[in-house]
Amino acid sequence: MKGTNSSLERQLAAQRKKKIVTGVQYTLAIIVTLIVIFPLYWMISSSVKSQDEILLLKPTLWPHEIHLENYSNVFNRVNFGKYYYNTIVMTAGILGSQIITGVFAAYGFSKGKFKGQNACFIFVLGALMIPLQVTFIPIFIMCANWGMSDTFLGLILPECISPYYIFMLRQTFMAIDDSYIDAAKVDGLGRIGIITKILTPMCKSTLFTTTLVTFTNGWNSYFWPKIIAKNEQRRVLTVGLAQLKNTFAGQATMNNHEIMAGAVMAILPVVVMFFIFQKYMLTGYSKAAMK
Amino acid sequence: MEQNTFLKPRTISAIKDFICVLPALVFLGIFTYYPICKLIQISFTDWNLLNDTWNYVGLKNWIWLFNGSGTKHLLNSLKVTVLYSIGELTITLLGGLAFALIFGRLNKTFSIMRAIVFMPKYVAMSSAAVVFLWILNTDTGILNYLLNCVGLPSVDWLGNRNTALLSVLMLTGWRAIGYGMMIYLSAMIGISKDYYEAASLDGATAVQSFFKITLPMLSPTTLFLFVTTFISSMKVFQSVDILTSGGPYRATEVFVYTIYKYAMEDFRMDRASVVAIAFFVLLLVVTASTFKISNSSVHYDS
Repeated sequence: MKGTNSSLERQLAAQRKKKIVTGVQYTLAIIVTLIVIFPLYWMISSSVKSQDEILLLKPTLWPHEIHLENYSNVFNRVNFGKYYYNTIVMTAGILGSQIITGVFAAYGFSKGKFKGQNACFIFVLGALMIPLQVTFIPIFIMCANWGMSDTFLGLILPECISPYYIFMLRQTFMAIDDSYIDAAKVDGLGRIGIITKILTPMCKSTLFTTTLVTFTNGWNSYFWPKIIAKNEQRRVLTVGLAQLKNTFAGQATMNNHEIMAGAVMAILPVVVMFFIFQKYMLTGYSKAAMK
Repeated sequence: MEQNTFLKPRTISAIKDFICVLPALVFLGIFTYYPICKLIQISFTDWNLLNDTWNYVGLKNWIWLFNGSGTKHLLNSLKVTVLYSIGELTITLLGGLAFALIFGRLNKTFSIMRAIVFMPKYVAMSSAAVVFLWILNTDTGILNYLLNCVGLPSVDWLGNRNTALLSVLMLTGWRAIGYGMMIYLSAMIGISKDYYEAASLDGATAVQSFFKITLPMLSPTTLFLFVTTFISSMKVFQSVDILTSGGPYRATEVFVYTIYKYAMEDFRMDRASVVAIAFFVLLLVVTASTFKISNSSVHYDS
């Protein structure tokens, strides 16, 4: 700090350093982004290549010609339309039942009052510790005995209540002041009225984000559908895609263009949703982090 | 119910509140707690799905698992699962933090790049896995092509027992790292600027303030990521199932895959059950110990 000259120099040096840091950051970020997006780009670009182009020794970054018939070929090879239908029905079933049971249970645990409430809540939380990956054997046998193999009921039932969903909603409902509930009761609103007219609208955003997480989990679920729905009739997309690979009987690498077309179709709904609801998608997870 | 004169209104209200939670309780009882009991029962039988009848065989399966031909498979699953977990934890925590530092700039370009890096989390594992199967393919995969271009030899990524687990981690890491980044970033935004201003007035460098301010302030986030990633990584199944089917030579056979194989391929419900119970106990131990760490070593901003 002796003279103005040296402080000016220092300022310039600092500015230069800042510029370099910015430059490095931009370069790094762009390189990393390109690497991360590459598998998706590869999936999409390969899905429109011809078989000859797929088998070239020197891979082409950009497809020479666009072959959209790869997509229709997938439908001819496996029952992809059926898989879509099965996935949609399964996801809708899981979503519907998780929302309804979740909202009611969350109400009971946050605004209700009954003996043994805490014990019941611990019972629900304890279920978080017991994953399907441990209990699937008895559940599979139960469902098989009840004739639910290869049925929608079998696909949906083990997932139709989520302790995680109940927990998240309960935390949100807790934050709402009891005076709203009391006022509603005075106005003669019953429990269903309170839930649908007061709590749900007030917690719209959490409900929405948590539901988005549930939707993607349902759509992408694989473990249980693979176990319970082996039959073509109720196969879902995730399992069907792995199956599509097997229909080429050891020649999968020769037919990667069609497999990639199937892969693109399987992720399309969720990826489109991701871009529409990008902001909510993150808060759905970070809210869980903040708890 | 309203006409009931024997019950006080408060009791009726309590019953109605209880009815709200009843479906969840009944369901969890049937589909979560009952199966655990059933699992313990099956572990004492010789139940093979191919046979019509089963008998109690005492501790036979337990001896098979802990002091018999099953032991080495158990130890192998344990080793593979732990290695896998360490890998995924490293990618999600260290990689996520590094990405958060790289992508921390708040402007339009960076927000688009962040969205791209975060997106793989939403790409269904099946789709991601078939793409990685191809990218990692020994003969036609683009990764080996690129390696050859810079003069390196081709690697049999999925067929070599030394690289198979690494390949699985590439796939799961690709989906997890953006998530780690987003969680870290949203926590970083919450750190008050005052700390950094005070530090820079005291002459602290950027590196110093990262280690003295950012990192300690992020410790609750790190812990959250650590606990949730650890537990979910132990349950890994799908990536292994599609990429390697547990091979080669069980080099990627994680716990869930072992259980799955015994139950759904060999139909040995008895053996699958003992392994499942062992896995469950392991999960409980891991959860309990991570929560214990969390109570002692986390710095919370007051």
